Amino acid sequence: MTEPPSPVAARSERSLDELTASRLTLDDLVDRSALREMAGSFYELFQIQLMIYSEEGILLSAVAEQPELYAYLNEFSAPREALVELARRVRAIDPRPADVTEHCITGAVYQVFGLDYDNRQIGRLILGPFRSPERREVDPKLVELEPSLDPEQLKALFARLPLATTETVALIARHLKGALDLILFSGHKALLTTNMHLASVRDSFRELQEKNAKLQEAYNRLKELDRLKSNFLATVSHELRTPLTSIIGYSEMLSEGIAGEMNAEQREFVTTIHEKGEQLLELIMGLLDLSKLESGTMSLHKREVDVAELLDDVTSTLQPTARRKGVQLTSSVGAGLPTLWADPERLRQVLLNLSENAIKFTPEGGTVELSAAASFMDVDAGEGDADGMVLFTTKRPAMSLVVADTGIGISEHEKARVFDAFYQVDGSSTREAGGTGLGLSIVKRLVDAHDGRVEIQDNSPCGTRFVVTVPRRRASISG
Amino acid sequence: MQLDFAARELTVKLVYYGPALSGKTTNLQALHRASDADSSGRLMTLDTRDDRTLFFDLLPLTFKGSGGLAVRLKVFTVPGQVIHASTRRLVVQGADGVAFIADSQESEAQSNAESFMDLKGNLKAHGLMLRQMPLIIQFNKRDLPSVRSDEEIAQLAAKGREPVYLAVATRGEGVVESFIGLLHLTMSHLNAEHDLAGKFGLNIPGLLEEVNRKLGGRQPVAEVLAASVGGALDVLRGEEA
Ligand SMILES: Nc1nc2c(ncn2[C@@H]2O[C@H](COP(=O)(O)OP(=O)(O)OP(=O)(O)O)[C@@H](O)[C@H]2O)c(=O)[nH]1
Ligand SMILES: Nc1ncnc2c1ncn2[C@@H]1O[C@H](COP(=O)(O)OP(=O)(O)OP(=O)(O)O)[C@@H](O)[C@H]1O
Ligand SMILES: [Mg+2]
Ligand SMILES: [Mg+2]
Repeated sequence: MTEPPSPVAARSERSLDELTASRLTLDDLVDRSALREMAGSFYELFQIQLMIYSEEGILLSAVAEQPELYAYLNEFSAPREALVELARRVRAIDPRPADVTEHCITGAVYQVFGLDYDNRQIGRLILGPFRSPERREVDPKLVELEPSLDPEQLKALFARLPLATTETVALIARHLKGALDLILFSGHKALLTTNMHLASVRDSFRELQEKNAKLQEAYNRLKELDRLKSNFLATVSHELRTPLTSIIGYSEMLSEGIAGEMNAEQREFVTTIHEKGEQLLELIMGLLDLSKLESGTMSLHKREVDVAELLDDVTSTLQPTARRKGVQLTSSVGAGLPTLWADPERLRQVLLNLSENAIKFTPEGGTVELSAAASFMDVDAGEGDADGMVLFTTKRPAMSLVVADTGIGISEHEKARVFDAFYQVDGSSTREAGGTGLGLSIVKRLVDAHDGRVEIQDNSPCGTRFVVTVPRRRASISG
Repeated sequence: MQLDFAARELTVKLVYYGPALSGKTTNLQALHRASDADSSGRLMTLDTRDDRTLFFDLLPLTFKGSGGLAVRLKVFTVPGQVIHASTRRLVVQGADGVAFIADSQESEAQSNAESFMDLKGNLKAHGLMLRQMPLIIQFNKRDLPSVRSDEEIAQLAAKGREPVYLAVATRGEGVVESFIGLLHLTMSHLNAEHDLAGKFGLNIPGLLEEVNRKLGGRQPVAEVLAASVGGALDVLRGEEA
């Protein structure tokens, strides 16, 4: 017999389902040489021959030496043929639903047991030949079959066969099956582990490669876009600003009388040109900001932000404006305020816009107060469906930044609209407050970019509270 | 699902999904303990030395099925730890139904949500929509302090689509209920797709009775199913009638 192929080599990689749900063969699960070793030590212990067949009919293990009786019988042609026929018959026995006992021409007994794994028969155990106590003598028909056999020798050799009751053999088989089951289980486990390991390594590798390629592509595209955008913005702002600065500069010089005295009317006209020029410049800067935000090319440079410091900075920047207007500007922050993960420049811009508004829309003698407090915000997955609803409505640590004034307030139906670009309450061109109506739309976009929210509340007894709430920590949901 | 015509056997794959340490393995252990020796095979755990699932756990369960179609259930858990992403994708492949084991502790809300998105993504990677997957959610570890309240869960569960169960897996509470709920959904779903009852005489109520009995359930199946605090078991129950 040629050496069977090593089961390890036969184990080509298979999917998890194939390895757990489909039929597995005995050959898949055990190492043949280990099985042979086990059968060998079993033989040493009980002296009963053991053969293990897989369900597919492959002999996986057998003890090499023949009982002497059988060696002797094989020297004669008729008994040899009978034995071959017996072996064929025994091999074909299906031990289902119950174990089968088969008698040999010698009168010795074979017993065939089914070997199950995972509630399926995957092989057979054949134990024998052995003498059962009911039959002490060799079958006399043997000599009829082959008269030249020596009865004395037959008797002696028969007596050397192991003696056992079928009950004992069944018990032995049960223990053997128990041990084999453990071996099969370990084999199965090892098979799964190796396959899973291979598969998951391959899968991770594939995923990484895909991601790398995508990232590289996206990176290249972004780099190109970024270059184009910077170029464009730089050109446009330069082209617009250069003539405008001249207009502003010259009109300022004119109004200061550097080019000669002007009469009151002339000075008024020039001053108007100067003011409108300044306004136009502001508008251009705002538009540039907005276009950056809109094209999504604005990148946030997030880091740990000390909110108290930020508020102080904003108040001191605006203090002169507030003083000029006769509005009291303060900031207050509770002790032990946690830091915030955000882009400090952009947050500053948000607070500046809100505070400028607050000062602008608060009459003399009023107050504007900046404050900050740790808070929570609801996180919904934003998936727009009810899948796993119950898992998603979680609170996320956040920071609320408040700009409260005692000014003119914003009516309920205007609250939603003031965030629109260019929208101003009482949009008549003669309104005294000035501005272009871009401030809040920029605020909204900057806050959105932080995954945050802006809310307008009424202040009591009068005025407005703008509450900006942004997540305090890095987001980790990637899906 | 695999159908072996010759052997008249149906193999169904159920997967326990969820964040790390939510109690997926504990659920399987409790199921294994509850089941009788005839129907349950060895619980196979492929884990690390500190009991964290490395590849998966597998509990094979076999039931005769009263309609002449035997049913083999392969119940898997995935490894919850974030790094085992690709293993989870491999294990969830070919799942017929999913039990999502969430950790009830308030501090774990974020991990639950992340793991759920992960499930959604992994199903998608196999071309499956979460929406079409039989799914139950179990809130485990009800015995711990600072868990989300029963009322809160019931309220949210009522709005959601999937049946929600409360459990203490370490004590085996709610484990069988969750499992039967999942099996009910899964079998009804498979039946709707493949007409197993019509073509092969699969008797789902009979199967559920058998499973319930073999898992030591003392209440009738209808009551076990009613243990769900929300979601829609009835939708499918309606289809069956
Ligand atoms: N108090 C309490 N502890 C539980 C409960 N269920 C599970 N645990 C404990 O939680 C820990 C993790 O449980 P596992 O079942 O191993 O968790 P897992 O989901 O399989 O974790 P991974 O394999 O890492 O994904 C163990 O220490 C369990 O004893 C429960 O209902 N209550
Ligand atoms: N604190 C406030 N109190 C009352 N009204 C306000 C307040 N803040 C904003 N508004 C109203 O919302 C409008 C839009 O504000 P926004 O900041 O966008 O524009 P603006 O201040 O008018 O112009 P810009 O900011 O571009 O200079 C304002 O014109 C004003 O009518
Ligand atoms: Mg403004
Ligand atoms: Mg586990």
